Amino acid sequence: MVEKIKVERFTCWYYDVLALQAITLAVHEHEILGIIGPANSGKTSFIRSLNRLNDLNLTFRKQGTVLLDGKDIYAMNPEALRRRVGMVFAMPLSLPMSVYDNVAYGPRRHGRRGKKRLDETVEKALVAASLWDEMKDRLSDSALKLSGGQQQRLCLARTLAVEPEVILFDEPCSGLDPISTAKVEETMLELKQKYTMVLVTNNIKQASRVSDRTAFFLSGELVEIDVPSRLFVTPRDKRTEDYVTGRFG
Amino acid sequence: MKRLFDWIIERFIFLCGILAVIFVALIFLFLLREGVSFFGSYSPIKFVGGIYWYPTSDPPQFGIISLIVGSLFVTVLAACLAIPLGVATALFIAEIAPRWLKDVLKTVIELLAAIPSVVIGFIGMVTLVPLVRQALNLPTGLSAFSGALMLGFMALPTIVTISEDAIRTVPWSYKEGAIALGATRWQTMYRIILPAALPGILGAVMLGVGRVIGETMAVMMITGNAAHIPGSVFDPVRTMTATIAAEMGETVRGSPHYEALFAIGLVLFVITFIVNFTADTFLRKARR
Ligand SMILES: Nc1ncnc2c1ncn2[C@@H]1O[C@H](COP(=O)(O)OP(=O)(O)OP(=O)(O)O)[C@@H](O)[C@H]1O
Ligand SMILES: [Mg+2]
Repeated sequence: MVEKIKVERFTCWYYDVLALQAITLAVHEHEILGIIGPANSGKTSFIRSLNRLNDLNLTFRKQGTVLLDGKDIYAMNPEALRRRVGMVFAMPLSLPMSVYDNVAYGPRRHGRRGKKRLDETVEKALVAASLWDEMKDRLSDSALKLSGGQQQRLCLARTLAVEPEVILFDEPCSGLDPISTAKVEETMLELKQKYTMVLVTNNIKQASRVSDRTAFFLSGELVEIDVPSRLFVTPRDKRTEDYVTGRFG
Repeated sequence: MKRLFDWIIERFIFLCGILAVIFVALIFLFLLREGVSFFGSYSPIKFVGGIYWYPTSDPPQFGIISLIVGSLFVTVLAACLAIPLGVATALFIAEIAPRWLKDVLKTVIELLAAIPSVVIGFIGMVTLVPLVRQALNLPTGLSAFSGALMLGFMALPTIVTISEDAIRTVPWSYKEGAIALGATRWQTMYRIILPAALPGILGAVMLGVGRVIGETMAVMMITGNAAHIPGSVFDPVRTMTATIAAEMGETVRGSPHYEALFAIGLVLFVITFIVNFTADTFLRKARR
């Protein structure tokens, strides 16, 4: 097992409010790490720390380290880091431009010019996000006109077009119907060959369906991390058991 | 009860809207009436195409080309100064400045908007005009350039405040989405925030430029009021608004001169209307 991301005693605050408490865990290469937990347990804070998106929040403070391929991400250039660690948000928020421009946005910012190469990148990303068939005749439509499920896969395509190594998902299916959800899940499983993924989800069933290992967060603490067949069936911690059997949260 | 209240409010708002339209229509009709009676005795072609504005000679000449050019010089130059500076300032306040500086700047700029234009004109006359004369070694500092500097300054608060609003209301998620793709702060501002805020920024620019076109007191005090076609922006000019303001008091009601001033008003109205209409069409396209 290659440890793609290694988080060591990571603690963070907003103002003085503790959001994460000494989290230590590793994300293995080519796995889908699921993260579950009730509201305000720190799931979002955690994955936004992995691509330093929390840096935008001026009240955010942190301690501890996050290593990507053994290198401290907080010592890296944040833009370069975010190119390697992409993110798909809860709200499928397309940028206010055409489908094509949305997908081409990242590559263009990173200096990729030339229509032919861009066309290829866009097509590849849309294919990988299982959106090519639906979009190939609508590339110049405004992305804001797509359905929620399509927009979410468009956001995924946009992220893929940057060719990251890791993709973070923050409740990517929370606003989607079951069919769109199934499509996104299917896509994620296909992407596993090439990418390392972290999936935050409120849906325990989803975590057990797609993740290779699942971590349970509670009040900013990592309670337990294990393969789903154990975490959901024979958890070691009482709190995990209570949560996965629906007794709270 | 609630129904009745809703009904009353609805009618009231409707009435306000209609009244605004009626007022504008009445103003237009009034201008049109005075203007048309002027064109009964003076050829509109000679009016719009004439170079000489000698309202008191015999026979009087009412050619407004030099006034139109004067207005154009001052307005365009002021807009060229105020728009980039204003939008950049708005971007700085909304996106870059730390909290305390943001508050300071916003307060100062709002104060600026509250200064009456006579005061700005006066300050410009005693400070800016001599400065321009010395710095550029001109025979007089009273020029289109000085006027444009002052007017650009006056349009700034409008442009900054409204653009800043527009920039601030760009959804945070657009920003985050771009940043998460590895865009830098500057790329995000330039490629995402500015385009998304463009309709609002255009509105701000229109209002600001509207203030410049309609401004009277300050231009009258600073531009030198020479009714001739300027050779450069450093020449004295006279604008349409300044002409109306300066001469209205000396005319006899109902005289050709008096009516000619109304005709200038009509031309101003039409120009403003065209500018607004163009901006509106453009805005609607941008919003789509
Ligand atoms: N921008 C912020 N400013 C201040 N406090 C925040 C901010 N974001 C999160 N918090 C706080 O940090 C804690 C963890 O929140 P976080 O959003 O990480 O939880 P979550 O597990 O993602 O919750 P949810 O399931 O509702 O998305 C909460 O107590 C929350 O109130
Ligand atoms: Mg969350």
